[in-house]
Formats: sequence, structure tokens, C-alpha cells
Amino acid sequence: MASGSSTQSLVISKQRKDENESEKVDGKSDGESSYCSSDDLEPEWLDDIQKNGELFYLELSEGEEELALTRATNHQVSTNHVRFSDKEAEVITDQRKKKCNGSRTKGTATLKKLAKMLRRKHRSALRKDVPASILKNQPGQYQGGTVQKQLKEVCVYLNPKRLSASSVPLFEDGGLLEALLGVIHRPSWDSEGMRQEDKLTVHGLVPNSPAAKCGDILIGDVLVAVDDVDVNSENIERVLSCIPGPTQVRLTLETLIPLNRARADDAFEARRMKSSPPVSQLVRLLWGDDTAELQMSIEHIPHIVMYLSLKLDSASPQDEEEILYQYPASEASRQLKGVRGIFLTLCDMLENVTGGQILSSSLLLGKQLVHVGYWKENNNLLVIGLPAERVPLLYLQTVLGDVVRTLKMMYNSLDSAFLVADHAPRLDHFFCLFFQQLIQPSRLTEGHAAPPQDASGTLFLDGLPAVRWLTLPPEIKMEVDTLLSDFESSDFGEMSEDYFGLRRMYVILGSCLFYKSYLIANHLPKEDLLDISLYCQHYLLLPLSWEQRVGQLVVWREVFPQQRATAAPGFNTPQGRYFLLIVGLRHFLQCVLLEAGGCASPAVGCPGPDSVYVDQVKATLLQLEELEGGIEERLSAPAAPCLSCADWFLPSSSSTRDRLDSLASSSPVLSKLVKGSHSSGHRGRNLFGEKSRKPSPQRSLSDSGSEGLDGGFGMSRNRGLSPHSTPDSGRRLGTRRDSLGSGGSEGSGGSTLLFKSPRMKHPNPFYLGTLKKTLTEKETEEMYNTMKLSSGAENSLFHFLLMDSVRGVFIAPSHRDVSQLSGSIHPQLIRNFHHCCLSIRDAFRQSLPAKARRASSRPQRTGWGLGPVKEHGVLFQCKPQNWTDQKKPAPTMTYWVIGRMLLEPVPQEFYVCFHDSVPEVPVEMAFRLSFGLDL
Amino acid sequence: MMLQEGPVQLLCLTANSGVPLFTRGSSKQLPFSVMGSLNGVHMFGAGQGISLLSCDTGGGGKVVWKVFKDSLMLIAVSAGQRSQSSHTEEEVYLQRLLENVWGCMVLVLGQDELVTVRNVERLKRDLRACFSLIDLLLEERHQGIMGNLTHCADSLLPPNPALLQETVAGFAQAADSEYGCLVIHGRIAATTEKWSHLMPQEVVLLLALMQTLSKSGSSSCDYPVFLPQGSPTVALRLLRFQLLPGANVCVLCGPTPSLQRAESDLRQCWSPVVDSLRDTLAVGERCLPSSVSVRQDVLSLMLINRDTHRSVSCVQALSNQPDSSLPSRARCWELLKVFYIFSTTRYFHQESSSPEEQSQSSSGDFVQGFSHQPLQCYLVTEECKCYGLQTDQHQLFLLFPLSVPTYVLRSVANQTLSHLVASTGF
Repeated sequence: MASGSSTQSLVISKQRKDENESEKVDGKSDGESSYCSSDDLEPEWLDDIQKNGELFYLELSEGEEELALTRATNHQVSTNHVRFSDKEAEVITDQRKKKCNGSRTKGTATLKKLAKMLRRKHRSALRKDVPASILKNQPGQYQGGTVQKQLKEVCVYLNPKRLSASSVPLFEDGGLLEALLGVIHRPSWDSEGMRQEDKLTVHGLVPNSPAAKCGDILIGDVLVAVDDVDVNSENIERVLSCIPGPTQVRLTLETLIPLNRARADDAFEARRMKSSPPVSQLVRLLWGDDTAELQMSIEHIPHIVMYLSLKLDSASPQDEEEILYQYPASEASRQLKGVRGIFLTLCDMLENVTGGQILSSSLLLGKQLVHVGYWKENNNLLVIGLPAERVPLLYLQTVLGDVVRTLKMMYNSLDSAFLVADHAPRLDHFFCLFFQQLIQPSRLTEGHAAPPQDASGTLFLDGLPAVRWLTLPPEIKMEVDTLLSDFESSDFGEMSEDYFGLRRMYVILGSCLFYKSYLIANHLPKEDLLDISLYCQHYLLLPLSWEQRVGQLVVWREVFPQQRATAAPGFNTPQGRYFLLIVGLRHFLQCVLLEAGGCASPAVGCPGPDSVYVDQVKATLLQLEELEGGIEERLSAPAAPCLSCADWFLPSSSSTRDRLDSLASSSPVLSKLVKGSHSSGHRGRNLFGEKSRKPSPQRSLSDSGSEGLDGGFGMSRNRGLSPHSTPDSGRRLGTRRDSLGSGGSEGSGGSTLLFKSPRMKHPNPFYLGTLKKTLTEKETEEMYNTMKLSSGAENSLFHFLLMDSVRGVFIAPSHRDVSQLSGSIHPQLIRNFHHCCLSIRDAFRQSLPAKARRASSRPQRTGWGLGPVKEHGVLFQCKPQNWTDQKKPAPTMTYWVIGRMLLEPVPQEFYVCFHDSVPEVPVEMAFRLSFGLDL
Repeated sequence: MMLQEGPVQLLCLTANSGVPLFTRGSSKQLPFSVMGSLNGVHMFGAGQGISLLSCDTGGGGKVVWKVFKDSLMLIAVSAGQRSQSSHTEEEVYLQRLLENVWGCMVLVLGQDELVTVRNVERLKRDLRACFSLIDLLLEERHQGIMGNLTHCADSLLPPNPALLQETVAGFAQAADSEYGCLVIHGRIAATTEKWSHLMPQEVVLLLALMQTLSKSGSSSCDYPVFLPQGSPTVALRLLRFQLLPGANVCVLCGPTPSLQRAESDLRQCWSPVVDSLRDTLAVGERCLPSSVSVRQDVLSLMLINRDTHRSVSCVQALSNQPDSSLPSRARCWELLKVFYIFSTTRYFHQESSSPEEQSQSSSGDFVQGFSHQPLQCYLVTEECKCYGLQTDQHQLFLLFPLSVPTYVLRSVANQTLSHLVASTGF
């Protein structure tokens, strides 16, 4: 079907490919040749291309699959199931074979190529869960005859939805038993034509059916129960028809076994029952398999998205005709859907009353507070209702703006997204992902190494108009940038125009590279980067590459980058069309923005992905894999700047200190830190009363100005005393920045006075990576040693975030840094930090210049009651939970969360969280962050 | 745009039939159809089990609905632009306004008449008695009175509190009352002991009522009042006497004594303390006796006692030449109010609002989201620096000029708090 829908271009590209196979292999790294050893084979994803050219193909890596398999194998080995073990071995060989020749083996249970998010195409490859086979020795009720019978339990994965969509000929006799489960049962008839037998004996298995694939159901077994419901030939159809959606069911079967095997240890087996599903929720959600079940789990939380028409045609009073699109169609949205009249009326009326478009309203559903956001486009209205406990009103506009921007990026306009009937299933999936991420973010990362994300953190980080950035050592960064640039120049091999003497199909506008969800290189303008990162965020591609080694991910679709679509005519021709190609391999994810038309040949119809381009991206990624060691090293390196764990500041237990020591012995940088906190550990305890503070040098400066009530400290005096903390230092930052930028030399502008770790800073955010000077190793080492942001002996920094609005990137401690500082208080603190940042950023947003706003094209207010906010800080106090000692009051720890926004010279936002003990001047910290880190 | 720049438009309708009872505020009334729609959407939602709370529009516009005792619906519409506050701040202000308007309707008419509406026309006529009070609440924005917002009665700390307190107690006793209060410049200077048992909102409303009554110019009056929480159905008598211009004393009492009899006690009680009264009057808007010094670089401050639900607030007259970079007095008051709302909607506990009430306001959920307790916060804006802190007993909000370095804000705030508490015992 793919070739039927693919276009001319695809055919051409394949032609080229065939002709020039050898050259390509030579031209590129050997990595590629090993991967694409079979060029004459179709790429695996070819079948998944949609009619409109779109592709979303996801395959897990061998590592992931083998992990699942080993789990399964371990089960088998330890349970003495001789009978099944050879079956397993067979599966493994199957697997290996498939991977070796790279060909497509349809129907292999472990081949997870069910990228059916956009379409429910028939596929016989039903996923099965790990066969958790259980032998139960129950000689009691089911025992009959002379042969000993035994019960066993088998788990199979059933998906009734697939049934309806499939083109499998209906099994007229077997009904659901045969069609859904794959068990063939032929009832025997007695002389009068009545069904005689009550027992459901397995007479045969349908190939590739769940029953056959699980390998534990044997011909001759008798099916006695489904999910503990006793079944017989009378009720089996009814029982199976009750399965609402894709789910795992437990079948109990009566089987004949040799007597010596009947001595299975029941308890031992029962423990094994709970086998974890081999594939995480996240992947299942992406495949679009389990949306029904996930959707059901948030049924009780009201949420809705509707696209309503404001133009009502009263001539045709059809019911609900004003609803152009709605999701979900479940109980969760019933009430909100019922009052859509309110939304329409308010939208219609309030513009005349208050002179502004309606933005949001708050409703109370019983006890539950729901915020509703509105977005009006032309004569239609997008309405999204979300529970207040998940999305505070402060942030509703950001969330709504992001959704609208993502939709516009994908479909050009809301109207074209919602008004085309074909889009409905895709939009369903789109909004399913949307609500799942907002309402139960924890569910998606369940049971994985990925850090559990709290709701506020997800909201805040996703809402930032920036992408998480990982600073790399310069030499690695240079290589990465060179590789990307080489790829983007596309002047070699099949991608060059000279090669065929044809106009090239696409111009590569730029690309960006993610490693484990961190952006490590970006050659795209900011707005395009944000568009793409929104898409990746929405489709959970970034967490995916973080937690799971992706075997292969290929995404292709036409996109409408907002900046380019709305830009004034100039460089880009208006008839140019843009395509997004995302290729993921292992932990790498490369996003490429392509342009057709303009310099390249115009796109005709809906072209699918061109395998030349896909292969080139893959080749680039394979080359990049050589650098993976270096990047991984950077990721596992101790955090720079050093972070402290909140728990260390609470003198709750002596074990903390011990743990710290043991930690320190393993890491030189940490040991430095521990020394610091050792020496001041006692001090830390007395710090909470302000009076008892032992002043650090800097502190004494500030105190001298503020001590003495009647002193009336003159501000000029203070300025003289502490030059680095005057409020107007934003201006000074500007000059310093300039001097740094022009020279690029270290320590210029006299910043050595203020910064312990002056680092060079490149003024131009783009394309300069390759020019970056390589620092000597010694310098780098020194840097790590001095990367302590807070002053004083003690490192008091808990967490930070620095966002550069111009480049659209932010840096924050990596997940690993955070998880290394394990503790009970620290995760709480970070959750609190993110929640507080929501508020701080909301205060900032009021004063952002309009063009810096990510989401909105609508008019915004110019002022705020307090005027533009430049800096905002909150002091928090925390107590250890479960404080049992009644005699002593619980020890407390206080810490600041401070946000600061700079508009000049480049818009930047800083958020820091540090311990109260050292009264840091946040300005200073911010400076150090921006200069000291290699952003 | 139907609403002109100006104060908030307030609509009052009967909840079940939607008959408009009155509108106050903007000089230009909303068209009847709009009023009908505003009421209609809320009623429609109520029929579906959904209650509409508020609505934001671009440009800072805001609509807030509230139904009281299932009988009357109040709708506040603010057009935005005029007040440059963000949605959250505006919403808290409008919520408080609606509560206060309902409170003063009960105060004047009693709850019975409002809950069981027999004759709509008569109710409309009766409600006119509240208009002066409602208008005062609507205009209140820029005055130095914070109580309408904080529901903590504005207070003025006299130089010699004990003497005045004794006198008030003596006068109240003479008038057979347990509730007596001395009001200077619209702020509480001294009260009897029992006065503090009144609900904070009632005290705030009584102060507002006193202000409208004293505007009439009469030296004394006898006014029936219902206390919205304390006695919503049984009227009490509020006796008010003017002692000096700007100084009033009031007592809440039952059927006795007559106004004349109480007035006769007046001179006897108060003439010995006239000098003290004059001293207290001289404290003026500063609210703090001159013996209590506040650092010069504090532009304005508000101190709330969370136990007694009283507050002291002041904007300091800057001694030096008026600096153009500093916000004006009116602006200082406004900033203080906005900063108060900002802090209490996001971090601090809002006084005299039950948790249930907080969860019903569309921003209350945010405060609950913190896993640790916020203690202090500060803001640096283009005009000034704001600092807020909260202890078990007090909340303090301060404004500083931009020239004060950020890192000293905290110590100044802590010192100011301890100094104020130590020197005034507030």
C-alpha cells in the first residue's frame, strides 16, 4: 500500500539508491554500512506511511526487547517448565535473525512496530505480554478420570478493537473465541443435533493469534475460566464480548501433565504472577494501543476540549451541530459539554461589555474547580476545560497557547485542523496525549528509571519558551556541530544536486539534536526550534529517548512553522512547503526541517519521507554514536555548579553525615563540598535565627549598612560598600557582556573580581560551535573545581534554572544530578521550586515585551498593578516529615527561591533555589550562572 | 465597549427569577439584554449542576458572579484597563467587594427581608437605603483604608491607649452596652473588650457605615443595624456621636438607652480626655504615634495582627523634596493593596477566609500547591521594592524605594516588625 500512495519522488529516490549503493557505503562511515547492509530492501517503515505522506514509526531497540525477553526467560528457567523453554529459545533466535538481516519480519511478537497512532490498519501482530505461566496443583474439583489433571493460568493480551478494524474473515463458527483469542473449539453434536459437550476443549489454534503466540495453550487443554469467571461453551461468547478494550486477561486452563511435574510449588509460582509489562505506558500510549484504558483512569476528573462554531444556523435545528470537534466522549466531559451554551454566550457577549476577548472562566462542578480557556479563531471557538488542581489559572493561558501553537504548526490553522473529518482520530490521539500529560504525568513514566515528574514541574518546564540544553565539553561540541553542519550542507553523495543533475528535492533549513531529551546542538532559528520542541514534547519523544533506547524512530510530516508561515515576504518564498523529519536512534533524536519549493523542486501532493534523507540522518546519528561515550561522561560528571541536597542541612540524623562521607569518598568534587559543609555544619544549625548568624565577609558588608535602627542608611554609602549588588547592576551587566562578547577572552572587563570561574562566552548563539576554542584539560579541571555558585565555605545552592530567551534554551541540573542528591526532602524542595517558579514566571510574564511571548498573538495588557517585575523571591521553610521526637521541636530549614528577569542586553530569566544561611545576592548568582556556565 | 472607564459595575438581581434590583457603579448602565445574559448564563449553569464563578477577558476585564443565600445574585463587572492589575488581583478585589456589598445589605436591611422576597418592588425601594454605603465601597479603591480588602479592621495607635480605652469602656457602660468603639479618621483607636468578639467583616462594615453617617454632618445619630454574622435577623441600635471633627464614638446597644440619655453621658465621660483625643487626631494617617519611629526608607507599611484581625497601615511622608522617581501617595496605597493581594493569593494565608472560601476562589488552589511553608517574599518592580513576611501572629507588608539594596530588605523588614511590636504591643 505504501508504494501505491508514495509519490514520484520516492520512486526516484529508490532508483538512485539502487544505482549507487556501493558509493554510498564508501562515502559514509562503516557504521552505516553495517546498519544498512541490505540496501535493496525496503526500509521497515515503508508500510506505515499514510496516504497524506505522514509517518510515525517507532520500534524499540534490541536492548529494550531483550530486557523484556530476559525477564521472560528467567521466569521460564526458574520454573522448570521444560515444555515451554524450547519455545522461548525459538523466539530468541527469531529475534536475532530479524535484527541481523534487518528485514521486516511481520508478526513477530516482540517486534514492536505498531505505530498505529494515526490509523488502525490491520496488523496481525498482536502484542502479548510476558507469558506468566503458572502451574497450580489443584487435584480437587477439576480432577477426573485416571490421568491427573492440572490447572494452569495463562495471560494473554486481547484487543477487541483490532478485531473490528481488521479484515480477518469472520470466523463464523468459532465466534469471538476464535476471532479474538484464536482458540478453535468444535463442539461435538449428539444425534439430535444438540450441543453435547459443555467443556471448552482446545481443538486447534489460529496462527498468529494471541493464544498461539503465547505458547502456553496447548491443543487438548480445556479452558475453564477467563479472569476467574468460569466459562463453558454456553457463556464463553458472552464473557469475551464483555471485554471492553485492549486488556490483558488471565485464562485458566485444565491440562494433562505427567505426574512428576505436578509438584509445583504454589506459593513460589504465585509470586511470579505479577510480571511487569515489557513495554512502558509511555510507549503504549504513543502506539495508540491503550488509550481507552488510560482515558478510563481519568474518567472522574472533568476535562474537555471542544471546537465550537459561533455561527449558528437556526434554520437547521440539528442537535449538537455547533460542536465541530469534541474529546473525550466520556463521562468526564459530559457536564462540561452540557454547558457549552455558556461558553458560546460569554464569548459572544463579553467582548462588547468589557472590550476584550474572553480568555478564561472558572466553574465549580460540584466540589471540583475547573478552569476553562478560550481561543477564538475566525468564527470558531476552541474551548479547553482543565481541573484547577492540575493547571492553576496562572498558567492556563500558557498551556492553551502551547496547544494552539502545536496544532497550528501541524495543521497550519485551527480550522484546517478541526474541520477536516479525517483528522478526528488523530486529534483524538493528540488530545489523549495532552490530557494524560497534564492530568496524570506520573502514570506515563511508571516503573521506569526516568525521574518522576511532578505536575508543577512538567507544567513549568514544558511551558517555558525554551528547550533543555546540555552543555558539552568543547571538543565534543565541536565534533557534534561539525557532523550536523556536514549533514546540513547536503552537498555530498546522493544529496548533492550535481549527482543526478536534478534539482534537489528538499533544502535542509537546519536541524537540532537531542540526546536523552537534552538539546545538545541546534542549527535552527529559535522559533523553529520552539515549534519542533513543542511537537516533540507533545508526542513525548523527549522522555522516550531519555528512558528507552529507541530502536528506530522515523517521523515525517508536513509542518507549518509559525514564524515562516506568518513572516513578511523576503527570503522565503510563500509557496515553499516545510517538512519535519525526526529520526531517533538509541538515545539520539535528530529533528530536521526541510523546505520544498524555493531553491529545491516544489513538492507535489503529499510526499512521503524520502529514504535518502532518512538514511543520511541515520548515518549522521550513527557517526554521533561514537561520541556517546563523551556525552554520557558529561552527563554522569558531577554537576557544575555543585549542588547541595536539602537533607544535608537538616540535622535530623547522624546517618546523613555518614552517607555523605561515603559519597564523598567516591567523588573528589563532592568531597570538597562535604568538607565545606563539615566545617560549617554546626553553624548551619544555628543559622535559623538571623541574629546568631556568623557573618560571611559579604554579609558583614550588608549588615553594616542595615544594622542600627535609627541609622538611616544612605544608599550611596551602601553602594560604595558592596558594588556588586546594587540594584542597577542590570546596566552594568550589559557593558560587561559586550566587552566579553567582543573579545571572547577570559576574564575581561575585570570580572575576575566577582567571579571565581570566569569563562569565555560566545556572543553569537548560532553556528559558532565549531569556532569555539578548545580549552586545555587543565583549564577544564580548574573550572569544575571552582564551579561553586554560592559564596562562603558552604555550598548552599540547591537548584537552578537559567533560560536564554533569545536562543530558546535553558539549563538546569540534569536528572542525574538531581537523582544523585537523593534524599527525602530534596524532591519535595524541587517540586516546591517548580511550583514557585510558576508564580514567579507569571509575575514576569506581565512585563515581558509582547514579541517575547511564546504563545500569544492576541493583544495583551501593557501594565500590571505592580508594574513590570524584575525580581521576585520567596522564602520557604521546611520541616522533616514524621518528626517523632515530642520533646524537641522539629528542626527547620529555610531556603529562598528567587527569580530574576533581565531584559537587557539579552532577555534572560534565572531561577535559583538556595539555602538561607548565606544571604546570596541573587544578582551575583545570576551573573555567575550566565557567565560561569558554558551556555 | 459598553462599559466606560470608571469604577466597577455592580448588578443585583433576584437569583431565581432574574429580576434586576439595582445597578451601581458605572455612570452608563449596561443594556438590559446584557444584564439578562449575564444572569442567564449563570442560571443555565446552575441548572446543569455547574456554578459559574468568574470570567476573564483580554485587557484585564473581569466578571464575577456570586449567589447569596440562594436568593440574591450579585454580579461585578470590571472593564479592565482602568485598573492595571492582573486577573488574580482583580478577582480577589471583586470577590471581596461582592461579599462586602452583601454584608452591608444585610447590615442595613436584615437577612430576612433579603432571603424571603415577597414584594420585589418594595425590596427595590428598601435597597436604596444601602446605596450610599455601596457607593462608598465601590469608590474605596484609592483611599487609605485597607479593611475592605483585608477584612482586618484598620486601626490607629493612639499615643496613650490605656486612657482612651478606659474612657470608651466607661462610656459604653454608661450607655448599657458592651460594644463601644472610638473611631479616629475612620480607623479604630480604642474599643471595649467585647468589641473584639465581633466578626472582622462586621467591624469593617460598621466602620464604613460610620463614615457614611458622619458625612451627613449631624453630631449624633441612632441607626438600626443587623450584624451579618452576629445577629442577621435581629436589629441592634448603633449610637454614634461626634466628639471632635474626625473623632467619633459609637456603641451598639439594645432598646435602651435613648439617644438623648446617652448623649448626656457623653460630655461627662469625654471632656477630661479632650487633650488626648487631640493628640490622637494629630497622629492622622500615619496611624502610628510619633514616638514610634519607622525607618525613613520605608515608603509605606501595613502590619496585620492575625489574632485580633486588626491592621495598621501608613504611607510615610517623605521628608525630602518630592522625588519624581518615587511613587505618589495614592500610588503607594494602590501598590500596597496590590502587593497584599499578590502575596495572599500566592503564598500567605489570607486572613478571615475559611479554607472552603479559598478553594472556591479560582486562585485559592495555588496556595495549597506548596509542599513547604512560604514565610517571606519580595518583589522588585520598576517603581519600588516590596517585602512581605508572615509569622504566626503577624503579617507585615512593606514598600521601599528602588534605591534600597535588595539584600537589606529582609533585615529591615525583620527589624521593623520587632520594633513595631515591641514599642506598640500591637
